[in-house]
Amino acid sequence: MSIVDLTSMAEPEGEAQKKVNEIIKGLKEDIPNDCYQCGKCTSGCEAFILTELEPHKVMALSKSGFIDELLNSSEIWTCVTCLKCKERCPQDLAPVDVIFAVKNIAVVSGKQIDSGYSNMLQAVLGTGFIQSPKEVVDRENNAVTREGLGLTPMKGPEEIAKLQQVLMKAAMETLR
Amino acid sequence: MARIGVFICHCGTNIGGVVDVDELVKFSSKLDDVVHADDYKYMCSDPGGKVIKDAIEEHDLNRIVVTSCSPRMHEPTFQSVIEDAGLNRFCLEMANVREHCSWVHKDEKEEATKKAKDLVAMAVRKAKTLEALTSFQKDVVHDALVIGAGIAGIQAALDMAETGKKVYLVEREPSIGGRMAQLDKTFPTLDCSSCILTPKMMDVARHPNIELLTYSEVAEVDGSVGDFKVKVKRKPTYVDWEKCNGCGECAQVCRMKERVSDEFNEGLGKRSAIYVPFQQAVPLKYTIDPSKCLMLLSGKCGDSPPCQDVCELGAIDYQQEEKIIELNVGSIVVATGYDMLDASDMYEYSYSRSPDIITNLEFERLISSSGPTSGHVHRLSDGEEVKSVSFILCAGSRDKDHKEYCCRIGCMSALKQAYLLRDHMGEDLEINICYTDIRSFGKGYEEFYRRIRDGRSNFIRGRPSEIDVDEDGKLIYNIFDTTTQKLLEVRSDLIVLVPPLVPRNDSGELSRILRITEGADGFFLESHPKLKPSDTTTDGIFIAGCCQGPKDIPDVVAQASGAAAKAMGIISREELESDPMIAWADPDMCVGCGVCVDVCPYSARELNEVMGIAEVDAILCTGCGGCIASCPSNACIHKNMTKQQILRMIDEVI
Amino acid sequence: MDLDKIGLYLGCLIPTEQYAYELALREVLPEFGLELVDIEGPACCGAPLRHINLSLTMYLSARNIALFEKEGLDILAPCPYCHQALSEAKDIMKKNPALKEKVNTYLKEEGLEYRGTNEHFHLLDLLHDEIGIEKIKESIKEPLEGLNIAAHYGCHLIRPNDIPRPDHSEDPQKLETLLKAIGAKSEYYNEKLDCCGAHIFINDQESALTKTGQKLEAVQKHGFDGMTTMCPWGQRMFDAKQDSAGQTVGASLSLPVIYYIQLLGLAMGKEQEKLGLHLNKSPVDKLGSKEED
Ligand SMILES: Cc1cc2nc3c(=O)[nH]c(=O)nc-3n(C[C@H](O)[C@H](O)[C@H](O)COP(=O)(O)OP(=O)(O)OC[C@H]3O[C@@H](n4cnc5c(N)ncnc54)[C@H](O)[C@@H]3O)c2cc1C
Ligand code: SF4
Ligand code: SF4
Ligand code: SF4
Ligand code: SF4
Repeated sequence: MSIVDLTSMAEPEGEAQKKVNEIIKGLKEDIPNDCYQCGKCTSGCEAFILTELEPHKVMALSKSGFIDELLNSSEIWTCVTCLKCKERCPQDLAPVDVIFAVKNIAVVSGKQIDSGYSNMLQAVLGTGFIQSPKEVVDRENNAVTREGLGLTPMKGPEEIAKLQQVLMKAAMETLR
Repeated sequence: MARIGVFICHCGTNIGGVVDVDELVKFSSKLDDVVHADDYKYMCSDPGGKVIKDAIEEHDLNRIVVTSCSPRMHEPTFQSVIEDAGLNRFCLEMANVREHCSWVHKDEKEEATKKAKDLVAMAVRKAKTLEALTSFQKDVVHDALVIGAGIAGIQAALDMAETGKKVYLVEREPSIGGRMAQLDKTFPTLDCSSCILTPKMMDVARHPNIELLTYSEVAEVDGSVGDFKVKVKRKPTYVDWEKCNGCGECAQVCRMKERVSDEFNEGLGKRSAIYVPFQQAVPLKYTIDPSKCLMLLSGKCGDSPPCQDVCELGAIDYQQEEKIIELNVGSIVVATGYDMLDASDMYEYSYSRSPDIITNLEFERLISSSGPTSGHVHRLSDGEEVKSVSFILCAGSRDKDHKEYCCRIGCMSALKQAYLLRDHMGEDLEINICYTDIRSFGKGYEEFYRRIRDGRSNFIRGRPSEIDVDEDGKLIYNIFDTTTQKLLEVRSDLIVLVPPLVPRNDSGELSRILRITEGADGFFLESHPKLKPSDTTTDGIFIAGCCQGPKDIPDVVAQASGAAAKAMGIISREELESDPMIAWADPDMCVGCGVCVDVCPYSARELNEVMGIAEVDAILCTGCGGCIASCPSNACIHKNMTKQQILRMIDEVI
Repeated sequence: MDLDKIGLYLGCLIPTEQYAYELALREVLPEFGLELVDIEGPACCGAPLRHINLSLTMYLSARNIALFEKEGLDILAPCPYCHQALSEAKDIMKKNPALKEKVNTYLKEEGLEYRGTNEHFHLLDLLHDEIGIEKIKESIKEPLEGLNIAAHYGCHLIRPNDIPRPDHSEDPQKLETLLKAIGAKSEYYNEKLDCCGAHIFINDQESALTKTGQKLEAVQKHGFDGMTTMCPWGQRMFDAKQDSAGQTVGASLSLPVIYYIQLLGLAMGKEQEKLGLHLNKSPVDKLGSKEED
């Protein structure tokens, strides 16, 4: 590469960029290179006002290959998945999906992720669901359960071990 | 006996750099009936032509195969070459090795050479049975037709009329002028649009060689280049234009006065049911809108219709009927212009939620001193003063959900309108221009842009995601400015959307009537994007102005003059050579079923009742092939493109 | 309506805590002659795992569709998040048959096959397009006259428009139409298409609650009597977390937030308890008193 970012001495990473693009193509979408930086996505981004996530910058960094900067940024984890960026992009691009792709790559490359996500994954692997039926309270603060309300017990996956096995394999593959 | 010569062009490295030309020459010379094969760097050049001519003489060749580029490019060139050498020009066959082979198989040289061989072998096989054909002359009609009388149609009509030709100018609206009549000032020089347009409209009205057919539409076109038969539908105006002197008394007394939405003012103003679109209309004659006139709708308008009562000339005529006018012209120029994208399609921009969100074309009417507010810009919702105006560029242009192309005039129109606003409303007005890229590519345009960049208007590089209407009716939007990296909240009293120019909503139908093609974007398609910008795929029909694609007035006028010159090239001739590559019905095979007569879109087929067979009118036939595909008895044959010839070519490769 | 029975796919959130939604669905829909069929084996739709691994989302969605397909059932997915994941999986596999094959090699290990022959509905299109406004109107005994209810669709119910969604992405109207059908009124408000914040609650509660609070505040300020949803995630934020959201944005919020299916049940004259109304945390009683005014 003959391009260097003089503020960080980082160089564009072609390989990492390819990985992002592959995931995006798998989703049957156009890769970030089509982005002409109009900024419409960031103007309407529901996360930006709170957390400074700039979807147009995510697009710019990924089309220029500065993936590492994205992988290390905390903002990518603040997308609320409102999908407005994808809905309104005049080039039919999907910053939200590029953000998903980058997060997926961050997970694979062993970046620290919020425990909320790992717990959720463990729950799905263990029970098939992100959580088990909870005891809740009604407006009068009485505790209520699923059974207590007369609802039938949840019928989850019968062979959870089997599901777990397949999921572990599927996670390694690119099912995209 | 066919004595075939094969001539292989390198086309520089276009073919030579991919296909093994030596190998191809060797291969060709061994093919049946080939007595000579040769190659040359540029066969289409003069020396290349000489190679062919010399070989024809030396080897007594009678059929020629040229292996080069598309026949669309150089067939006429090589036809002339062999004609010079004494051969019939139709004894030429071309193998398109450039477009069909070397360009598309750049990286597979060996395979490409193989494919080139197949292409040459096929061409040679066909060349064997090429017939010498003779074209004949047909008379040319010297009049021309122009469809659409915006600035493009006006220019084309005047250019042709000036040379002494008779021109019919058909316009759908009651007046000529088109969109330019709706504009206030024009960029980049800020001439007043009507001041430069009206004189031209008057020239049209006065010109002895121009016959103006307003409130009319083309309904049918038959025939072909040099001799088109056209039916024009003249809609009833319900006013006898021979009598009407344009005094306008009728519109003043009309019961629907101020009650009909005014299209010329983009719905911002109101008119009567009897109207002229605008005061400088040409012709200045009144028209009754049948969808709004009480008399025409219900046969009753009060006790007696006031327009009729007031018209001293007795011009009102509720009984008028549609008329069909038949024209015969040698050439046609299409100049039907553009519509605007319906801004309510962009829901996020709330166009239909607030009257204060308007399009740039509506703005032209708003700022025009002849417009519905006499040029005073105020909030359309409540008449309050306007303190802040925002322009949103590329609203629906460069947008895959709407129109993918650049509207080409939007940026400049916004810069112009910003200038006019400042000029009208002074220093206190806030002007925000929200842009993605300012495209100011025309002559003098960048200089104009520089003038607006004077610190008095805010240029925000970004695009709002949505526009909202506050409880107090104010418009509010967030926009991320990609230059300062700030998310701005902007409150404006008036927002001007800049949507793309789009094809006229009936352009599909017109393209069918005229048998011309529309491009993927819906605009009429030129026959070559660079070299034939005003030709269509139908000989004798030309396009000019925004019906071919969005453009500004200087480009429109240039293209219109170009189209006029092209059309003149046809109608100023006495005769045209007709193409003999047409249909022929074999009398031995034809059973006279008449299927072809129904199929032929050019009325070139007729049933000979005496012989019981169908015949082809060689002048009308364009060689479209419709009859050939439909003939159940295989009697219809396309000369030099017969079924046998095609089957043998296929045999050659399978 | 051709449908007389439909597979009920509740996803994760509804059957583990949004009991009111489930109660009301089971109470109301059979009234329209629709049998809700529970089947053995569904799991998470995979949407919440997108952040971690998009392949898991794909697999899980395909798996759920395949399970119902095996039983010859169409699907009702009352959660927009699930519904969108199913729609997306279906769309991608339709455009990419090779991928479908690949997914099927995994499904085979669980004895399943995805073919993509069954349909799936959300409650919105089920009510509006299948059951139909007329039938709904006929079922109403106590129209909710005088109420002005804000419609919250939820991001995933209408976006993105490049895959089939139950309503228009920028100008959805079906929920308003349904509200009108039960006698209520539903005005337009600028924040209608805005997000509830649910999907960052997992790692950034403050931001999530800010989103929730801001939308609730806007709705309250607009003068609505309440807000209705068709999404367990949105309901959880606007209803169960209304108090914390109010604290986060420093507003005193007291807005009844109620599932549309609960409102429909009320208008049909159903008992509150059977519709799980006691489970709503927001002051839904206010709706009743307002109605009487
Ligand atoms: C807001 C705005 C501002 C602009 N400002 C400028 C400017 O400042 N400077 C500049 O250079 N350019 C400007 N333009 C561009 C300019 O308007 C066009 O370049 C020009 O008007 C196009 O002329 P035309 O003759 O091709 O089309 P039109 O003006 O659209 O004329 C077409 C004519 O054909 C008629 N017609 C349509 N269909 C039929 C039919 N089937 N049969 C018969 N008649 C038919 C129509 O009624 C119309 O009269 C502006 C455009 C917009 C939208
Ligand atoms: S809206 Fe689309 S084109 Fe515009 S900056 Fe965002 S991703 Fe790029
Ligand atoms: S989906 Fe994420 S990135 Fe896109 S606009 Fe919403 S919050 Fe922003
Ligand atoms: S001319 Fe300007 S406003 Fe129009 S599409 Fe092009 S860049 Fe956008
Ligand atoms: S080829 Fe046949 S159908 Fe076509 S113009 Fe000639 S006669 Fe008519």
